[in-house]
Amino acid sequence: MIRVEGLWRTYQMGDHELHALRGVSETIEDGEYVAIMGPSGSGKSTLLNLLGCLDSPNRGRYLLADEDVAGLGDDALAETRLRRIGFIFQSFHLVPRLTAVQNVEMPMIFAGIAPSDRRRRAESSLAAVGLSDRLGHKPNELSGGQKQRVAIARSTVMDPGLLLADEPTGNLDSRSGAQVLDLLAELHAGGRTLVVVTHDPAVARRADRVVVMRDGEIVKRVQGQDISDLNGLFDISSEDDPSKQDLNTAREGDETEAVVPEKPV
Amino acid sequence: MNPLDLLRFAAQALLQNRRRSGLSLLGVVIGVVAVVSLTAIGEGALRYVTTQFASLGSSIVNVSPGKNETTGGMPHGIGGVPNDLTLQDAIVLERRVQAVRAAVPVSVSTDIVSYRERGRSSRVVGVTSEFQQLQRLDMDSGSFLPESELDRGAAVVVLGHRVAQELFDNANPLGATVRIGSWRMRVIGVLQERGQQLGMNIDDVALIPVASGMRMANKSSVNRIMLDLYPKSDSKPVIAQVKKILIDRHDEEDFTCISQDAVLASLSSILGILTLVVAGIASISLGVAGIGIMNVMLVSVSERTDEVGLLKALGANQRQILQVFLLEATMLSSAGGLIGLASGTALVELGNLLYPRIDAATPLWAIAAVLGLSLGTGIVFGVLPAWRASRLDPVAALQGH
Ligand SMILES: Nc1ncnc2c1ncn2[C@@H]1O[C@H](COP(=O)(O)OP(=O)(O)O)[C@@H](O)[C@H]1O
Ligand SMILES: [Mg+2]
Repeated sequence: MIRVEGLWRTYQMGDHELHALRGVSETIEDGEYVAIMGPSGSGKSTLLNLLGCLDSPNRGRYLLADEDVAGLGDDALAETRLRRIGFIFQSFHLVPRLTAVQNVEMPMIFAGIAPSDRRRRAESSLAAVGLSDRLGHKPNELSGGQKQRVAIARSTVMDPGLLLADEPTGNLDSRSGAQVLDLLAELHAGGRTLVVVTHDPAVARRADRVVVMRDGEIVKRVQGQDISDLNGLFDISSEDDPSKQDLNTAREGDETEAVVPEKPV
Repeated sequence: MNPLDLLRFAAQALLQNRRRSGLSLLGVVIGVVAVVSLTAIGEGALRYVTTQFASLGSSIVNVSPGKNETTGGMPHGIGGVPNDLTLQDAIVLERRVQAVRAAVPVSVSTDIVSYRERGRSSRVVGVTSEFQQLQRLDMDSGSFLPESELDRGAAVVVLGHRVAQELFDNANPLGATVRIGSWRMRVIGVLQERGQQLGMNIDDVALIPVASGMRMANKSSVNRIMLDLYPKSDSKPVIAQVKKILIDRHDEEDFTCISQDAVLASLSSILGILTLVVAGIASISLGVAGIGIMNVMLVSVSERTDEVGLLKALGANQRQILQVFLLEATMLSSAGGLIGLASGTALVELGNLLYPRIDAATPLWAIAAVLGLSLGTGIVFGVLPAWRASRLDPVAALQGH
């Protein structure tokens, strides 16, 4: 179980403070699939980075399996990321000079796993994402969808309980995006907890639960059947479509969108 | 992290940016080549001097007039010092000091040596027949000065190789009469060519009996006495004995007595110090190369911040990231060290082919020092960039800034 209580994350911007998170509380059960939605700049990535122990809050508590993360030192945090958390990024973050299989091996190198064992595990992890025939390819020899599948193989190779994905389909065409979503669904079905930041309603539709953020706060929680009912609710592409505008509860957030352009994460 | 994985990871990172890695490595290569070749030259000079002394026979003790305060310097050659050594001193030394095989009194002057219309200025050196063995001189033709009473100076001369050539071209000088100053001397031998040897060129001299030399220079004393010791004799007690005998005879220590080994030893230590100084200066260039490496690593860290962020996200701890970048710097510098050693050695060998007289060779201590230094350079100058990388904030790093 993951539990955050009253999380604040504040950036000092010159003489004024920018609150990326303003007292976020949420509980995510083991094995849950949660989508985080909301306009750009609403604090989704900030929250995900905190969940991933890459960042620490200015205020509030983060309990990862009943353990307060604030008490962990740098090495323990690294160890937590290594063994219990897998990251998937919008821009893949593969190391360009390494082949697919070498990229997947990387976490196991830090874990000190023996080369032969490592190789075998990396290969089977790549096989699970359908890339057995691309083991020796470098990232620039792979399509976007294939790169993201390598990244997924890498995120799961240490068999972590928690997978965090920040806009995993953001740089992909719809077909590769759908493939990636299928893989995520499979991983979820395998018992992993999955937290996905997304703009994509197709992603949200597959989640058990959708959490909507705005201005650093959780403004809405949508569950089960309601997700498909609120079809197109958070679809950015619907902005230009007047027929859908009325449905868009996150509309005010969309105005922020124009001022703060989305940065790739 | 397993050391092999670490090595492979660092090597792959370096190979990704070949040109930049290559250029920073070049700095180390140049520094190492400088150290390797300069110390090789120093060592070569040392060997050269040593073999020269060996060919002179190292068991020689020189007695020259005047008290030389700076013992260890080169013995006096010509004039300018009190002429207090006599033929009798030489006779007494040879007779009374057991280890002395022969005492050769030497008189030196400079005069015109001429034959018919040709003449040249030469060093005219008065010696005895024992001088041949003492200096290990070989004859080109004829024979060396004959054995005779010390005070009997025959009118005969042995010409150095070049003197003979310049006066006689290809004609046979044996039996000819040459003029030395206002004296006429019959040529009885010509020395084999030998070349420059520690400041004196035996090819350029005319050797005559010491009594003739003294008469020619109108002197009653000699410029030095060379004592040729029996093989394997220790020069120290000989010097002590010589001093005692001569002080007895002169009532004061108005002479300098020094063994060839002592000269060699002080020359060697001068050359050794010179080599060290030169090597030290050359190794400054290694420090400069280290700054180059630091610069390259800093650029590399700032270019690869997103990679550092990724490594952190994947679970690498600070120590592992530090290791990766430190190893990259160290690999750069030690690869530079090895390449520099190889090319420096090649350069030295090439030099040896071109100048065979000097047998240059990089001494082992220099090789060890240069490899240690280049390794150390990478570590010292790699620490700062690696430390920076390890401290990067992962979230900011993943965003590439
Ligand atoms: N390193 C940072 N320094 C300053 N402000 C930041 C930093 N990271 C994020 N922010 C700000 O925090 C807010 C939330 O950002 P983020 O979590 O990336 O939003 P989202 O992922 O929902 O688009 C934004 O206003 C963003 O500009
Ligand atoms: Mg974001």
